[in-house]
Amino acid sequence: MNEHEVNEMKKLLQRAVKATGQAEPQRDLWPAMLRKLSEKAVRVPWWDWVLLAGTSLVLCFFPGMVPALLYHL
Amino acid sequence: MDKHPYLRAYLAGIAVPTVFLLVVMTAYTLIRYVYDVPIAVEKVIVFPMAAVPNAWGLWNVLYLAFVQRRHFSLGVFGGVLPLLLAPGGYAVTRLLNFSVPAEVFHVAPFALPIGIIVYYLAWKYFVGFLNAELGIA
Repeated sequence: MNEHEVNEMKKLLQRAVKATGQAEPQRDLWPAMLRKLSEKAVRVPWWDWVLLAGTSLVLCFFPGMVPALLYHL
Repeated sequence: MDKHPYLRAYLAGIAVPTVFLLVVMTAYTLIRYVYDVPIAVEKVIVFPMAAVPNAWGLWNVLYLAFVQRRHFSLGVFGGVLPLLLAPGGYAVTRLLNFSVPAEVFHVAPFALPIGIIVYYLAWKYFVGFLNAELGIA
């Protein structure tokens, strides 16, 4: 590939790939990233709350189950 | 953080029942020696002390090796474990001639579903949290 072909290729590439007007973001994204990382809250769906409440109630009414559960935990 | 994923899965699995073991041992000690309940639990204590934590660790390894890639719920997979542990625990009591109190048989039909729910929640939230922290979720 001679110099002329290299220049042609360069022009073709410059035409095909348009320059991005602004390479840098307009604002600092790092604080938002830190905020997102710290938001790591556990979301518990409603059916899990229902299961937890039901299990607690059953264990309150039938405390004899507790030793059997502890034995298998 | 990509080395030994199965070792990390095993450790994450055994961590939860190992912590609960403190509660179990405290309860057993109180029942046996403080309230003088005449049940020789020391004969069968090996099951919750050794078999259960190892079963949790191995179950988590199995989940990582075969199940996780199919996007199967960790909670549901953990909820299946009591179906193996309950017969195992009963087998230990039979092998060691441990007389299970009659009350246990009365509550057994309700205890198994409750155990499955407890395991489902423990695996979903506790083991799931540890798996995420160890980078294998």
